[in-house]
Amino acid sequence: MNAPSPNLSTLHTHAPIANTGSLSLDECRKGAQVRIVDLQAQSLFGSQDERVTLRLKELGFLPGAQLKVIGFGLLGSDPLAVQVNGTKFALRRAEAAKIRVEVISGSH
Amino acid sequence: MPAPIRFALIGNPNCGKTSLFNRLTGARAKVANYPGVTVERRSGPIDLPHPAELLDLPGTYSLFVTSPDEQVARDLILGKIAGEAKPDVLVAVVDATNSRLGLRLVMELKTLNRPMVLALNQMDAARNRGITINTAGLARAIGIPVIETVAVNRQGTDELRKLLAEFAENHAKNPLPADTQTLSLGQLDELSRDDSIEELYQRIENIMLDNVVQPEHLPRWQERLDVVVMHPVIGLIALFTTLLIIFQAVFAWAEPVKDVITFGQDWLSEFVSLNMQEGVLKDFLIQGLIAGVGAVIVFLPQIIILFFFILVLEDTGYLTRAAFLLDRPMRGLGISGRSFIPLLSSFACAVPGIMSTRTISDPRERFITIMIAPLMTCSARLPVYALIIGAFIPEQTVWGIFNLQGLTLFALYFAGVASAALVALIMRRNQTREHYPLLLELPSYRWPMAYHLLMGLKERSWIFIRRVGTIILALSIVIWFLVTFPGAPADATRPAIEYSFAGQLGGWMQHFFAPLGFTWQMCIALIPAMGAREVAVSALATVYAVGGDNVDAALGSALGQSWSLPTALAYLAWFVYAPQCISTIAVVRRETNSAKSTTFFAIYLFALAYFAAWATYTIASWLV
Repeated sequence: MNAPSPNLSTLHTHAPIANTGSLSLDECRKGAQVRIVDLQAQSLFGSQDERVTLRLKELGFLPGAQLKVIGFGLLGSDPLAVQVNGTKFALRRAEAAKIRVEVISGSH
Repeated sequence: MPAPIRFALIGNPNCGKTSLFNRLTGARAKVANYPGVTVERRSGPIDLPHPAELLDLPGTYSLFVTSPDEQVARDLILGKIAGEAKPDVLVAVVDATNSRLGLRLVMELKTLNRPMVLALNQMDAARNRGITINTAGLARAIGIPVIETVAVNRQGTDELRKLLAEFAENHAKNPLPADTQTLSLGQLDELSRDDSIEELYQRIENIMLDNVVQPEHLPRWQERLDVVVMHPVIGLIALFTTLLIIFQAVFAWAEPVKDVITFGQDWLSEFVSLNMQEGVLKDFLIQGLIAGVGAVIVFLPQIIILFFFILVLEDTGYLTRAAFLLDRPMRGLGISGRSFIPLLSSFACAVPGIMSTRTISDPRERFITIMIAPLMTCSARLPVYALIIGAFIPEQTVWGIFNLQGLTLFALYFAGVASAALVALIMRRNQTREHYPLLLELPSYRWPMAYHLLMGLKERSWIFIRRVGTIILALSIVIWFLVTFPGAPADATRPAIEYSFAGQLGGWMQHFFAPLGFTWQMCIALIPAMGAREVAVSALATVYAVGGDNVDAALGSALGQSWSLPTALAYLAWFVYAPQCISTIAVVRRETNSAKSTTFFAIYLFALAYFAAWATYTIASWLV
């Protein structure tokens, strides 16, 4: 089992920003329509973090993209299902916590 | 004769590559509406005027891979797999109902600067949803030919075939040198450095704006269905109900067809017995061939029903929803929703199940999934279970709706799943703390295609019949030989079979298996079961047909007379755990690439089987 190892040094993750208007995706409620502001580093992923950021972006989780929270899994409302660009994805809280969003409609 | 031109299908998971592959090659490979079906490249010839080969690669979102299956796809395109030439032309497949994600990969592939065409697949579904795509505009914007395809019907792929034929013709006239340029991973990084993800998406956004018109929302029925299916409580209830119905159906629906097969088998036996002279050949035909092969073939209807349900669930896109629902409970065990699909496939057969663990990015999670996959009851164990349940569990109705036999079968499946959970829990203890994301695409729902269902069932039945005709037939012959020779001495006091090779071998093995309550006949059946588990049934059939007083008695009633209930239950428990099939051990060796892990795998399952059978026998003997 050899792990794939692309060089990801070209990617940058933003430092956390203190923006009162934004919250992280895992704080959103079901049905919320939000817009992505930024992707942040998440220490839980350790050395994987940059790759997770990259994959999220590749799947369309980019600043400016609109996103809808469509549902939650069984316990502790984890994982969440979201829809971005017409495609549905299942994310865990840890991934959702990387995504800073601003709410367009729906309570949080 | 020039080397055939090599085309490679590449695209996102679940974009219809495999159905396109089937259409172009005529091979009936398996297609499913969930990511991770093709984990290994598959190739087949395309019927073109010039020799051409088509490769089907695992689905990938990006050349920056995050799991072993994506790595196979990337390495193959880049010509990084030893002994495997790079494909000459890339056939990028984009799901027209999900084009943004697909086009992103296409733009990334463009940087490789290789001959490429784009197949815009599932165009019929896109049109139904009110999506319109300006194909010519798209081709201009990307700079490669774009063909609309509908992989599920023949006309839909004709135009693509024509285009590929042109490539093949050019290739035949003017073959390119085998290795024109090989891009290193470093160079790939350089290329993508120039194109940051945001810029790439901006370009795609512009291309989409100019050429694609799509409604903002998914069809309403899809949304409504997801509200129910993905509901944390209702969704789970629906999932378990579905599974229970499947197990009930496997037993109840197959019965009439089984009766017909048994009838045919009895008739054949009768016919041979009336029309042949006494002798070794007659004995071989009736007791070796008809009893051995017939005992297994009778389970074909059950296996078809099981696969029918699995194929339908795969095809509709339901399985990823189940993975979503089960992610949280599975995570407690050190695995995730991503392990669900490999584990579910293992109910059909652990071999493809273990292979599809390549879709799991976390190496530790993948290891645990491989280790527990054989605890999911594979279809080869079904004949063994069905035989013993049929013989020992009365056909009764429980709580008005359930059949006791069906419930017992469900309990056996459940025992496997519960043990898998326990084993995973124990293995998880020395897991590293590194987190891996779930990030699972939930594809839109699709109606299962009758054509693909039929092809899938045909393929599965054919695999089963071929097994019966080859390995099961061969093992049946060996068993017959072992139980027939040497014959009993003239002054024999015991049944002839006890003097045979099988009798002697069984006698020795029985010392080891005596604490489990196994008879020597059961020990004998364990040996050919190493090759294929279902042969345990034909081995028992042969052993009892040869050794029993009443040759015509059905196997089930023969067992009912000679085994005690605790013994029968212990045998069932043994088969829940035993790592008996050689193919599974071989695939574990290949996928873990470690002799140590493989040895651990075999020993832990063997120990578990022995313990479970012993415990079952002891407890049951005490109760009965």
